[in-house]
Formats: sequence, structure tokens, C-alpha cells
Amino acid sequence: MSEHPFPEPSPQFPEHSPQFPEPVEGPEASTSSANLPQFPEPSPQFPEPVEGPAIKVTGLTKTFGTFAAVDGIDFEVPRGQIFGFLGPNGSGKTTTIRMLTGTLRPKSGLAEVLGTDVVRHPERVQRRIGYMSQKFSLFEDMTVDENLKFYAGVYDLPAEKFAQQRDYVLRMADLVGREDELTRNLSVGWRQRLALGAATIHEPELLFLDEPTSGVDPVARRQFWDLLYELAGRGVTLFVTTHYMDEAAHCNQLAFIYRGRIIAEGSPTELRTKYMDQRIFDITVSSADLALDYLVSTEGVDEAYLSGASLHAATAAHSPLSADDLRQRLIGAGFADAVVLEVEPTIEDVFVNLVSRQR
Amino acid sequence: MSGKRIRLLIWKEFTQLKRDPMLVRLLLLMPVIQLVMFGYVVAADIRHLSTAVVDLDHSVASRALTDQFASSGYFTINARPTSEDDLRPLLDRGQIQVAVVIPAGTQDHLDRGETAQIGIIVDGSDSQVSAVGSGYASQIISRYNRQVMTDAGVSVAAPGVDAQIRVMFNPTLDPINTMIPGLIAAIMMISLMAIMSQAVVKERESGTLEQMFVTPIRASEYLIGKLTPYAGLATLQMLIVAAVGILWFRVPFNGQLGVVLVGLALFMLTCIGLGLLVSLVSHTRQQAQQAMMFIMLPTMVLSGFIFPIASMPPLIQPLTNLIPLTFALEVLRGAFVKGSGFAALAPQLLILAGFAAVIFTASIIATRRRIAE
Repeated sequence: MSEHPFPEPSPQFPEHSPQFPEPVEGPEASTSSANLPQFPEPSPQFPEPVEGPAIKVTGLTKTFGTFAAVDGIDFEVPRGQIFGFLGPNGSGKTTTIRMLTGTLRPKSGLAEVLGTDVVRHPERVQRRIGYMSQKFSLFEDMTVDENLKFYAGVYDLPAEKFAQQRDYVLRMADLVGREDELTRNLSVGWRQRLALGAATIHEPELLFLDEPTSGVDPVARRQFWDLLYELAGRGVTLFVTTHYMDEAAHCNQLAFIYRGRIIAEGSPTELRTKYMDQRIFDITVSSADLALDYLVSTEGVDEAYLSGASLHAATAAHSPLSADDLRQRLIGAGFADAVVLEVEPTIEDVFVNLVSRQR
Repeated sequence: MSGKRIRLLIWKEFTQLKRDPMLVRLLLLMPVIQLVMFGYVVAADIRHLSTAVVDLDHSVASRALTDQFASSGYFTINARPTSEDDLRPLLDRGQIQVAVVIPAGTQDHLDRGETAQIGIIVDGSDSQVSAVGSGYASQIISRYNRQVMTDAGVSVAAPGVDAQIRVMFNPTLDPINTMIPGLIAAIMMISLMAIMSQAVVKERESGTLEQMFVTPIRASEYLIGKLTPYAGLATLQMLIVAAVGILWFRVPFNGQLGVVLVGLALFMLTCIGLGLLVSLVSHTRQQAQQAMMFIMLPTMVLSGFIFPIASMPPLIQPLTNLIPLTFALEVLRGAFVKGSGFAALAPQLLILAGFAAVIFTASIIATRRRIAE
């Protein structure tokens, strides 16, 4: 597997543009196929990026009755990037994806996908994009092979191309030898990778992923993100929605959507610095529930919430409160084992901060 | 529209059906079971009503009357209580459905040339039994009267009306002859509506519907790919019903095949439309099931499939015009039993065409819109 099996770029896609260099492969990436059979060499050529942003959205609005699910959003997704679209459930993420994939008509606004007006010409765009939902949308009463055959047929792949793609997907999803298994019998991680394979069997230039990791265990999530990096490395633009804030750090660009409006956007670093006007304290304590109640009502603490296994307390940037002050107060309140550390804000902290400012 | 993608969708549908052999078996067995049910059980003519005779007269006349009942074939005498008071428990326990009470002195009344009173008691808790039972009983008594009068030398040719009933089109009055054509339409409706709406809802539940509409598959291709296999299955079911009906139950087919095919095709479009509409209002398969029941119950009751429309209350009768099956039944029964042609069935066929146009078109438009959301 050391040799690239399909070296020629496919003729229908334009030449590699210079601003997007070859996929950067670290030392472990170049040997990945040897170590991890589920991540084989990227065999088929995915489309090369062309000029212009992958997605350009202006004033996009969708209302259901009087409820504005998406309320005049603007954003741009450069080619070849992993764009994270974050927001709590019901904030308008899926509605936005549906408009961008041409399955839902916006009330107003422009949505240009791969240079084409997707509202007017969804059929011109749909051939060039892929979509994977949190349901992994496979036909559960069909086999692995039949699912791939179906999606390849939908995109009218020539037999030879399908053979290559099938081979690639089976290795990527670690399903070699299980081609005749019904997909309902596969466990979640495998189903998820097969769904990714089915969604990219036609080598889309742009892939939409709607909460692709929901309900998947942390190990499988990690592996899945490796696959997404690999796709991005080949120039595929990824538009990912998630409400896992830790996944946000994997993205090149982020946009926060809340109640149908984009309330912040930028790179993860930008978001952490530009939008953050709070200091964050990480508190480890045995009786977290009680400590949380205490912190919420503590003078000088703007916000307190669970973050992973610990608590986070946010204070104003100019607050005189120090980690030690906070610890003393906690101990005084009966939380003798409290450990307080001032930490760099995570994406989640930024998000909590932004949302509380909206209220 | 791409023929290739439609073929692919049909292949997908058959592949999925193949994984559910139970469903296919049920679909092919269902018509046969329904035929047996309707052919032998539900529509069977009322005969051998369990009857009690209370003979308090013990005379020639009372025995002759009892014999008339016993030999009619409609009544089976299972009990001969000695007093009228014993009838109530028998009726209560359901051991008898009809009782004949011949009071003491009947023979004497007749001998004196007077009218004798005979009591007929019918269990009214089953309206059909009571109607048929009392009807047969009065026939038997009037026949007995004629005989008594003849024996007494009274001229039977006295002025009066004597009805000679001639049943046209279905001379044996065999209910199976009208049941089979009805069953063909009913089975088509059940299959197409139930199975198809289930299949669409299943696809929405699993997210594959959403997935497919991000691909180049168009709504029209999806619909054709979905409908074709199920229309094929429904056709197979109808053929089974028609074959079993004609070959096993010896239902005569007097009509034109063309009339039947046109009627069924129009009705099929209506059923497909209803199935799609059910799938649109249902988010889960259970809901689709409930919605189906909601449509099927009034359809079965009001269409004339089981109960004749003519015997429904006048206020209810106009409602039967809202049920597409009503007209499909009229077309099929007309064609099978009476041999009616296009001219005679034109009104029904036009109404079916109207149903098909409105319901099918509405469902396609609504589905396309809904698929997009």
C-alpha cells in the first residue's frame, strides 16, 4: 500500500491551485496505512480546490410560521477548510445545512455553494457535495456492499471508478471481509465510517456533516476526526455542525449560531482571545453539585457551570478575585477539598460567555 | 428524470423486500385468508337457526306446523320445552335464536274456522338474525295457511297479490359472487396504503429519505421508484384473489376485462395517494398504522363492502359518496356480476377518475413539498 494506486488526477477537476498545498502529512500520517488498517492511503483523488469560497451566505433567513429558525445569517467558508458550525440544539444548525444542500428553500437571502446559487439550482450543486447526518442514514436492511452500490449508482459512477471507491471505503471503514453483512448488525463506529464512505463515494468537493459524532464513543469519535482531517488534507471542504465543544478545537474556522443568529466567528484562537472578556477558574471538588449552587450565588462570579469532570467559574476580566480567594471562600463554605486553578478559556467557556451576553 | 436512477431505486426496494420475507409471505397469504374469511364465514347465508318449539297443543295441526319449520332448512329445532317460561333461559344463554310457541287450543280454533295465534320469538340482539328469522318464519306460516285453506276446500284463487320473486344476475344469491369483486378492491386498498405508507415513514425515521434528497435523486424519481414495486405487489395480490375467486369459489365473470382494469387503475392511483398522505401526517410507523385504521374503518363500514348501502339510515347514505371504495365496488361488482360495460358504469368511473385526480395529485404535490422539509 506504499504506492499511490491511482496517481493521475481525474480530468474533470481543475488543476491544483497553488494556494492549497499538498496535504501536509506528519510522520505518523505517512505510515498510517501500515499501523492503522482503517485509515488506508487516500487512494481516489478527491476534487482539487478552485477559486472562490466553498460557501458564501448572505442574509440567509428561514421562518417556520412566525418563528425565525435562521435569522439573516452571513458567513463565508474558504475552500479546503474544516468549518465548525456550533450551537445548542434548536439554534438553526440543521436548518442552515438543509438550505445549503438544496433540500429546504430559504425565505430570503443568498446561498452560494461551490460558486452556484443553490436555491435556484440545487441539482447543479448536489452532484458535487456530500452529506452525512447524525443518523448515519444507511439502509439498515441492506448489506454494506448494497449500500455502497446504491449510492455509487445514484451518482452514476462508472463501474471502474466504483470498484476503486468501494475498495477504498471498505478499507477506510475497516469493513473488508464484511461486505455482505447487513448494516443494522454493525456497531456504531463502523456504521459511522461506512456512512462517511457512502457520503463521499462520489468524491465531493464539499462535505456537510450534521452532528456526525453524536452518540459515538470517544475512541470512535477520535478516529472519525482523523478521517475528517484526512479528507480535509486532500482539499475537501468540510462543514461540520456539532454541539461537542471539544470538537470545535479541531476546526480551522468556527461560527457560533444561537437562536438563528451568528453571534461570533473566527478561528478557535481568535474566538478565545477576541470574544473573551472573562477569566476562567477550574474548580475540582468532591461535592460538585453543592459547590455549583454555592458558586452561582457567589459575589463576583458571573457564571458557574459543569465542564467535564470539574466546575468552571467565570469572573469579569478586571475582577480582583484570585484563584486563592475563590478557594478560601469555598473552604469557608464547607468545601474543604476544593482545588482552584485559573485556566485559559476553552471554546466552551467562550460559548457560555457569548450566550450569557445574549440573554 | 433518469431511468437509471429509477431502476436503481426499484432495485433497492426489492432488495429491502427480500430482507423481509415475512412481509412478502403475509402480503401473498393475506388475500387468501381474507377470501376464506369472507367466502365462508362472514357472508354465509343465514341457515340452521337454532330454534325451540313450545307445543302446548299437541295436535295434528301443531305437529304439521313444527314439521314445516324443521324441513325448511332455515330452522333447526334443538329444544322442545314444555312451557313458555323455559324459553327465556335458553335465549339468554344463546342456545336458541328463535322460538315458536303453539298455544293450547290451536287445533280447536282452526277446526272452528277461526284464526289461531302462533307466537314467534326472535332474539333481537343480532339484528340480521332477527330480521331473516322472522321473515322466514312468516313465509312458512303463510305457506301452511295456504295448505290449510286448500285442505278445507277454500279457493286459494281468491283475489290478492302473489309475489313471484326473480333474482337477476346472481340467481343463486351466493354472497361470494359479490364478495370476491369487493375483496379485490379492498385488498388493493389495504396493501397499497398500509405497506407503502409504512415504507415511506420507515425511510423518514431512519434518515435515508433526507439523505437521498441531498443526492441527485429527484422527488419524482423517488416516488416512481417507491410506487412501482408496491403497485406490482398489489397487482399480484389481486391476481391471486381473482384466480382463487374464479377457480375455487366459481365466481362467474360476466363482464369486460377493460372495465375492471380501468376501474382498478383509477382506484390504485387513489390508494397510492391516500398512502402517501398517511405517510405525510405520520412521523412514526405507529402513527401511520393509526392513521390507516382511521381511514379503513369508515371505508369498510360505509363503502357497502360488508353492509349494503341501501340498508343504511338515509342521513348516513350521502356519506358513502365520500368513500372512493364505494365506487370501486360498484364498478367491480357491476362488471363481475351484471356484466355492465363502460356506458353503464360511466358515472362511477368518472367519479373514480375525479378521486384519483384530486387525491393523487394532491399527495404528489404535498410529498414533494414535505420531502423538502
